[in-house]
Amino acid sequence: MNPTFYTVQAKDAPAEMADVRNLLATYDLELDDQIEAFVVCRREGRLVACAGLDHATIKCVAVAQDVRGESLSLKLGTEVVNLAAAKGRFHLFLYSAPRNMPFFRGWGFYPLVEVPQQVVLMENSPTAIETYCDRLREQRRPGNAIGGIVLNANPFTLGHRYLVEQAARACDWLHVFVVKEDASLFSYEDRFALVAAGVKDIDNVVLHPGSDYIISRATFPAYFLKDQAIVDRSWTAIDLLLFREYIAPALGITHRFVGTEPFDAVTRAYNADMQRWLHGVASAAPSITVVEIERLSIDGAPISASRVRSLWTQHELASIKALVPATTWQFLANRDPPVTGSPEHRSLEPTSREVEHS
Amino acid sequence: MNVIKEAIAGTLESSDLLVKVAPGRDATREIVIRSAVMQQFGKQIRRIVEETLDALSITTASITIEDKGALDCVIRARVQAAVLRASETKELDWRSLT
Amino acid sequence: MKLRRSMLFVPGDNAAMLSTVFVHRPDSIMFDLEDAVSPSQKDSARLLVYQALRHPAYRDIEIVVRINALETEFGLKDLEAAVRGGAHIVRLPKTENPEEIGKLETHIARIEKDCGRAVGDTKVMAAIESASGVVNAVAIAKSSSRMVAIALAGFDYLVDMHTHRSDGWEPELFYARAAVLHAARAAHIDAFDVVYGNINDDEGFLREVMIAKRLGFNGKSLIHPKQIDLLHKAYAPTEEELSHAKRVVAAAEEAHRKGLGVASLDGKMVDPPVIEEAEMTLQLAEAS
Repeated sequence: MNPTFYTVQAKDAPAEMADVRNLLATYDLELDDQIEAFVVCRREGRLVACAGLDHATIKCVAVAQDVRGESLSLKLGTEVVNLAAAKGRFHLFLYSAPRNMPFFRGWGFYPLVEVPQQVVLMENSPTAIETYCDRLREQRRPGNAIGGIVLNANPFTLGHRYLVEQAARACDWLHVFVVKEDASLFSYEDRFALVAAGVKDIDNVVLHPGSDYIISRATFPAYFLKDQAIVDRSWTAIDLLLFREYIAPALGITHRFVGTEPFDAVTRAYNADMQRWLHGVASAAPSITVVEIERLSIDGAPISASRVRSLWTQHELASIKALVPATTWQFLANRDPPVTGSPEHRSLEPTSREVEHS
Repeated sequence: MNVIKEAIAGTLESSDLLVKVAPGRDATREIVIRSAVMQQFGKQIRRIVEETLDALSITTASITIEDKGALDCVIRARVQAAVLRASETKELDWRSLT
Repeated sequence: MKLRRSMLFVPGDNAAMLSTVFVHRPDSIMFDLEDAVSPSQKDSARLLVYQALRHPAYRDIEIVVRINALETEFGLKDLEAAVRGGAHIVRLPKTENPEEIGKLETHIARIEKDCGRAVGDTKVMAAIESASGVVNAVAIAKSSSRMVAIALAGFDYLVDMHTHRSDGWEPELFYARAAVLHAARAAHIDAFDVVYGNINDDEGFLREVMIAKRLGFNGKSLIHPKQIDLLHKAYAPTEEELSHAKRVVAAAEEAHRKGLGVASLDGKMVDPPVIEEAEMTLQLAEAS
């Protein structure tokens, strides 16, 4: 009997997903509940292989020992790549145990960064990261102290403004990146526009669009989890190593700036990880100095974008004025917030923790 | 023919190739090839790809090829299929096929 | 006379198979754009088959292309690829009546003219896959000068008949086999028996081959290269059959040399059909 391949939607097929869960468990893999769909392969009714897709990342790949030969695995890879293409996703990522890298090379995936002995992030292009870095290199600026900062800015507040100001003061040039994923209340276009407006007058800032390589679903999936989950420290390493090994060298970045996080344990852990991966561990790539900047406070509390969002959805525009620059306030005043409790409101609201990485 | 969106064709299996086509950057035609037999056949693969694109009048595109030892006729077929999927025209002009 | 014992099915989207299957030397190869290819890959498979058709390795093997039904969004495009690519035969699936063949012919002629292929060069094969097809088999078989063969496709036919395959002599296929055979003989074209799906059961395959051979089928549709040799051996004449055939042909040649109108062997008249059969036997012997 020839093996048959087909797709199952994770939410609609409990019986199939039970079989998938069992197959994954055989190989010590846990089912990742972020996966939207699986390609599965059955032979004579038995589930022998599966591969999951979560946005542009392939996860939870398992092939039963007794069918491990070239042909079936390559067909599985083809089917999952086709599944992604049907959803309009062509630039794909994949997390692999380092020992499985050759297997995924056969799927057309190439290694990006590795957390030694733990996990390697791969992408389905031999040149995409280089091409990206080539474009970054065009934005290089001269100087001894070149800074980098990553903002989600959901929306851009005076707290963000303060961070950028302080960082820009401390270096010759500051490269500012805006997280690209549309997983926040405000769209990437809007967030980017507000950042641009909010830092326009700072002369030594270079503003960069976000990308798949800097705090994206692909490089830092845990960042986008809706529940108060523990951030898997492997993933912060991936995002940070990409920064250290590719982005920073392309732009000559020597310093990465972050805002301190007095309350949220998860963000605090990320900041600690930053010290470790950008500076602490040995690497062929140059070490980057991590600089924590004390967040701007008003009335004793650090300015919080989530507080701004909450005030906005409650139509309390007056209270927002002290927290955001005029350009952001104008934007908020001209826009209707989604109705509290509506699907738009619920689905776009990220975790209640401070979701900005500066 | 004009490449207006991304598309793929082919498979990852032995004797086949996976072709990815995307709109070109800066009006260029960029062809990236990786092959199990790069040393022996890299140049030939590139030549076939370029001939196929020329015949389809594709001057701007970004093409990535993951080759698993495909014959020339398979290379032509997969490149043509990917380009057709990536273009506006849904109708094939048979005379433009090499 | 073109031998058509073995027709090997090859999925049209399978690059590895299209690249290698010619080494097996079946009498015919059928590139399938229909049931073997998923809808999302029909466009890609079509181009693969078109390019494979033009590969030198396929120049001296008879190639059949199974297109999708003309009523589908794929059929006509498949036909363009098949005719322009140089397929020897176009196989029309699920043929139910001779009008369908008429429509097919009109399109083929148009494409031949447009691409500079001699009009009439592309041959046609009808696939009978339903009760209607079976009862119209004679009309279908006689419907075109391009028609070279008619094939019974068992699986879909049995679904249409609300039954399924059994072992042994398979009564459920009896009438259809007989109908298709008679249609073929009345129209002087070739007849193909059904696919045998269990590639791990050589004995079962050979049993079915013997049934087909006894009934008079020219050949059988195959789904795996290993079935080719098994089939060819089974179709090879026995020593006895071969020696008898040689004697018949020798008698015919002698009669011809002597300018006699009628050949005879062992005191009995030997009719032209018998001579033809003997020639076919020699050809079969040579081929196996």
